[in-house]
Amino acid sequence: MTSMESGGDGGKWLDAHYDPVAGLYTFSSCVDLADLSGDGENRLVVGDLGTGSSGMKLKVYRGTALMSENTLLDLPAGLVAFFMDLHEPRIPTTAVASGPCIYLYKNLRPYFKFTLPSLEVNTLEQDVWQQAREGQIDPLTLKEMLESIRKKADVPLSVRSLRFLSLETDGLDEFVQLHKQQPIRRQTVITCIDTLKKSTADEDGVSCLVVGTESSDVFILDSKAFIILSKMSLPAPPTMMDVTGQFDVEFRITVACRNGNIYILRRESDKPKYCVELPSHPVGLVRVGKNVLVGCTDESLQGFTQKGKKLWKIVLPAPITTMAPMDLPTRGFQGVLVGLANCEVHLYRDKNLLSTIKTPDVVTSICFGRYGREDGTLIMTTKGGGLMVKILKRTVVFDDRDSAPGPPLAQSIRLNVPKKTKLYVDQTLRERESGVAMHRAFQMDLSRVRLAAAKAYVKALESSLTPMSASLSEPLKMNAVVQGLGPSFKLTLHVQNTAACRPVMNLAISFLYDENLYRIRDPYMRIPLLVPGLIYPVGTFVDCTNDKGITDIIKVFVLHEGRSSPLLTAHINMPVSEGLALS
Amino acid sequence: MGLFDKLVGWLGLKKEVNVLCLGLDNSGKTTIINKLKPSNAQVQDIVPTIGFNIEKFKTSSLSFTVFDMSGQGRYRNLWEHYYKEGQAIIFVIDSADKLRMVVAKEELDTLLNHPDIKHRRIPILFFANKMDVRDALSSVKVSQLLCLDYIKDKPWHICATDALKGEGLQEGVDWLQGTTTDVHDSESVEHRD
Repeated sequence: MTSMESGGDGGKWLDAHYDPVAGLYTFSSCVDLADLSGDGENRLVVGDLGTGSSGMKLKVYRGTALMSENTLLDLPAGLVAFFMDLHEPRIPTTAVASGPCIYLYKNLRPYFKFTLPSLEVNTLEQDVWQQAREGQIDPLTLKEMLESIRKKADVPLSVRSLRFLSLETDGLDEFVQLHKQQPIRRQTVITCIDTLKKSTADEDGVSCLVVGTESSDVFILDSKAFIILSKMSLPAPPTMMDVTGQFDVEFRITVACRNGNIYILRRESDKPKYCVELPSHPVGLVRVGKNVLVGCTDESLQGFTQKGKKLWKIVLPAPITTMAPMDLPTRGFQGVLVGLANCEVHLYRDKNLLSTIKTPDVVTSICFGRYGREDGTLIMTTKGGGLMVKILKRTVVFDDRDSAPGPPLAQSIRLNVPKKTKLYVDQTLRERESGVAMHRAFQMDLSRVRLAAAKAYVKALESSLTPMSASLSEPLKMNAVVQGLGPSFKLTLHVQNTAACRPVMNLAISFLYDENLYRIRDPYMRIPLLVPGLIYPVGTFVDCTNDKGITDIIKVFVLHEGRSSPLLTAHINMPVSEGLALS
Repeated sequence: MGLFDKLVGWLGLKKEVNVLCLGLDNSGKTTIINKLKPSNAQVQDIVPTIGFNIEKFKTSSLSFTVFDMSGQGRYRNLWEHYYKEGQAIIFVIDSADKLRMVVAKEELDTLLNHPDIKHRRIPILFFANKMDVRDALSSVKVSQLLCLDYIKDKPWHICATDALKGEGLQEGVDWLQGTTTDVHDSESVEHRD
């Protein structure tokens, strides 16, 4: 239990508890800490997703032990603990959002269920089902008509119709018989939930619930009477939310939406006030102080002001799995914890990496706060269902310096850049005035250069001036090596037949050179049969007859008997002869 | 026990010992000290200590002055200022709080490595408190989790206690009384040399 090594985090955390088989499958949105019994000891409340189709539970932990379990009817989308009234003793209520409903638990017992208002139903759809009920149309016609409504209607179809459309032909009749009597209803689904203090900023003040739905709305619910206090619309369904402020005074709701944008809603406006368009989809949204930190799918963490202005961006070593704020008011510390897919949890203050926690498994949910009687407790659950509790050491001091390898200090020293000269200013002006013409001239020259290069290349290929043979019947490759200091050089030509299996015969080598400068011992050589793949060295000696230090090019031709043009050509730049001719 | 000490005992002048009472918040330090006081001086309501309290009580041969320190995180940095004066330490552990056993161990390690404590043969009495709670750890388990076996250079003793009923406290105080007398004697011997 306590023997686990805390590697990599510089001994900042104490390993209080690790149960790898706790069977907790959850995300950060479904974890909260609250004093559920009013005895000053915070409990861990978890909405467990079970297998995703069964075994959904509301679990409460006290210390290292599971204290209570309540079965949930549907998958939890979010869980918050909040004060809904001022009754003594002050015991918070747990709200679990699943499907279109919010289930409230008080003293760990079901207490109240709130369902969001149903949405407007397509009248055409209603008519079609009406006809089906009266037996005027058969299920196949019904399916066709619903299909056509689905394609063009403004109001989307109900879940029942969509389900019907996805059925195989033999199941249609049964489905219609089973459902035709019930009226059509269209329900939205809650995607995220958070709390908003009603009128006071106190820790134990009464809160409202803020709910984001699949129908791209955000509702603020009064927790006493459960009426909708405010409704705001977004351009896309919200996925994550952060709420700050008080409902009666001023509040700000930062919402990450499924279209990859972040919208900022404020009091007295039912439309978003600011919008941040992200380069990739957000996976985590955390507010630290007045800034909003967003983790994206492109393995980056970005900071924005509360007006949506981008402050910074850092690249992370692995994809983000989850994010959570780390707020320690007693020490005035605020940061963000980022769970990564490489089994690490990073702690950032602004863009500075302060601590890296290595975990035995990928972390799927993080919650930091007061647990039991300890203020700085970090609770994490893992992909394999493990529960991990770490406690921040009392004596820990987080350095302001970034521990991540980053740009060196010297980079921020200002360079002594000389003043702008008149020439520079004139040039800049000229560039500004006739930028288009300059660009065209450049493009023209660039095209010419490309054309010239292409022409030269084609010519080289056509006249076999290259050391690679382009002909299909004799694919050859040659390179030449000159050895020696002079005046006598050894010239070795390596000839290779690059064909897959066909040998090449009847080849010869000849040279073209300035006879005043060089003398070649064998100016004409026959090459033996070339077996594919092997490299044949063919050597001869070149004597430099000039002692003035003049060099020239020797051209080597590989010829085929009976053909006038060479198969390939190599140009050899001869080195300067450093010795003196003997004769 | 020399003749002088016996004489002091007859005369009713008892030797004074300063004791520090340490431990995490909510471990039961104040409750323990309260139980050790004479029954007419005990208080009924125990509230979380702010800063520290000074309490005095007497046993058959010694007069204890106890510094009952607050265990809350923000007051724990006060502890080290009293290490110099302390002649014995009572360290109280909440045996039912398994989660924070690591925190208790961390605080104990910090205490043992403090320069004012490290090289002194100061006796430490551990109270594994809250034995009445249903799933409390045994005193053996507590001493394992705190790695008490590694304390070689100081006399220590662990008692399982229930401070609400006062069970186990007397055993601890008796040990402390005996050890403090011994340590004092040996120290005074050293001084004479």
